[in-house]
Order: sequence, then C-alpha cells, then structure tokens
Amino acid sequence: MAEQESSKSLHTNQNREQSSKLENISDVGGKNKTKIYCQRCPSLVLSPRQATLVQKEFFLPNMYQKNECTPIEGVTLVDFWHVSDMLTFDNVGFSKTVDNIKYLMCADCEVGPIGWHSVHDKKSYYVAVDRVKHG
Amino acid sequence: MAKTYDYLFKLLLIGDSAVGKTCILFRFSEDAFNSTFISTIGIDFKIRTIELDGKKIKLQIWDTAGQERFRTITTAYYRGAMGIMLVYDITNEKSFDNIRTWIRNIEEHASKDVEKMMLGNKCDLTDRRQVSKDRGEQLAIEHGIKFMETSAKASINVEEAFFTLARDIKSKMDRKIDSSGQVSGKQGGGYQLKNENSQKKSFWKSCTLL
Repeated sequence: MAEQESSKSLHTNQNREQSSKLENISDVGGKNKTKIYCQRCPSLVLSPRQATLVQKEFFLPNMYQKNECTPIEGVTLVDFWHVSDMLTFDNVGFSKTVDNIKYLMCADCEVGPIGWHSVHDKKSYYVAVDRVKHG
Repeated sequence: MAKTYDYLFKLLLIGDSAVGKTCILFRFSEDAFNSTFISTIGIDFKIRTIELDGKKIKLQIWDTAGQERFRTITTAYYRGAMGIMLVYDITNEKSFDNIRTWIRNIEEHASKDVEKMMLGNKCDLTDRRQVSKDRGEQLAIEHGIKFMETSAKASINVEEAFFTLARDIKSKMDRKIDSSGQVSGKQGGGYQLKNENSQKKSFWKSCTLL
C-alpha cells in the first residue's frame, strides 16, 4: 500500500516537473521560446517561435537500442513540437518510410528518432520535446 | 506563415553504390551516431539551411536510395533537381570510370541547366588510392564541371562542396532573374516571383511541389 502511494506521488511529481518544463520552453501561444538543438551535437533543428507545442501520444523507438534484435524497444511520448511545413526546419534528416511513417533525425550526427511524420499528413511534422535540447 | 528562407535548392547525390554518398549527405559532424534503428531503415533526405551573401538557403538533399544498383535512376528522380553531386570513391577505379556513364544518364534525364559538381570521396584513405587527383581534375575539366576531393569520414571539404554547388546555383538563378529584368535590386530570391516565363518549367515545378 505504502509502495503504491509513493509510486503515485512520484508520478504526480513527474507530471509537475514535465508541465513546468513545458512552461519554461514555450511562450503563451505555445510556440518554442528558444532555439531547438540536437541533444548530442550542436546542430540547430528549429529556430525560435517556429513550432507549436502539442500533446499527441506516439510510440518512438529508443535512440539508444540495446541490441539489434527485435522487438524494437521504445517509449510512448506525449509532448511534441509541431511544424506544418518541412522547410521550417533549419536542419533535419528524414528516414525512409516504414508503415507510412518517416522518422526524423539530427541532420548532422544522425541521432534519432527525434520525431516523426506521417506520409498521410503532409502538414504535420512532430519533434519530441524530450529528445531535443532547448536554448 | 511567412517564408523563413530566400531560396530552396533541391540537390541530388549520384554515383555508384558504396562510394560514400550516404555519408556525404551533408554530414558535418565527425562523430556520427550509429543508431541501429535509423541505420536499419535508412535515410531518405535531409534539409539543411545555409547562409550565402546574407541570404538564407534551404537545401533539400536526396540520396539515390540504392536505386543505382539497378541502374534505374530515371526522370522521376531527377525531376526538379537544381544541383547534382557526382560522387566516386578514390580507392575504387570502377566508380571513377562510371562517372562518364552517370554524366550521360544525367544528360538524358535531368534538366539541361542543372548544376553539376564532381567529388572524389574517401580522400583520407591515401594508401588505398587508385585514382589520382590529377585524373579527377582532368575529367572535371573535360566536362566543364567543378571538382573537389572529399572525406566524409574526416570531414574534409564536405561542407565546402555543398557551399560551392549552392553558390553556383544561386549565381545562375540571379543571372537569370537579372536578364529577365523582372527584379531589379534582387529582393527575396526566386520564390517571390510569380511570372517567370523565361524559367525552365521543371525548376518551378519543384518549387510548387515542395
């Protein structure tokens, strides 16, 4: 019981942390306040105020896979930067299409996936808040 | 939303397989991350932003995605391309010989005024060199195109090569715009222009597609 309680409060704390993080990186209109960089190298992905914060559940494979064996390990992420034109990106790489999805990567060091794009929606490109660096 | 760039250039990488085209896909970073997931599915294209003469230029760079193995590079792939990087591997004689075939392929399928540049890649592998720099230069002169030796692995000349190609495309565009007399003083580049009758159709098609 006690364990359950503590896990619950941990969860709430994480939520609180995440929402304060989101407040720090977005302006009142939900646009990115700062530049958005690759987490691993100095590559600029998006310039300030070019993307809008959205909540959308999507499963992204981990950037660091333990081994090449299937199944692919990953995590369902919720907070994404949304961009409606691919040319809004300063630098980004697109993977080939798998099940109608193109995964986004850093254009320089190729770490990824840092986001995704569905070939069925030409006006939506998503970059995971947790997979890029802000500021 | 207002456009955040002045020019958009579609560039292609052409050459035999295994000459390192994928590495040249504008990788500036020396320590590329070997993501098992990404490398398994492969890279389709990249968007890069560079600045030339105070203008923001978006480059959309495409790899042949292995089609070269079957020699099925067709008009569809070349459509809208404004610049082509012809890549061979300095440690592989055959890939150099095939540059002539690739040039013929381009002449057959690509727009007549596409800018070309030739790259001798893997120039860090000096002890395995099969094609001298001289021969590369000669071939480039023969076809009237620019030439550089590069190493994607050691980050030699890769960035310079793309800047050079982009600069050549931009100069060509600016000359066209000037000669058609539609824009004096050159504001904003080709994208704001609407009635460019003198422009090649294929070029503008690419703009509307993207």
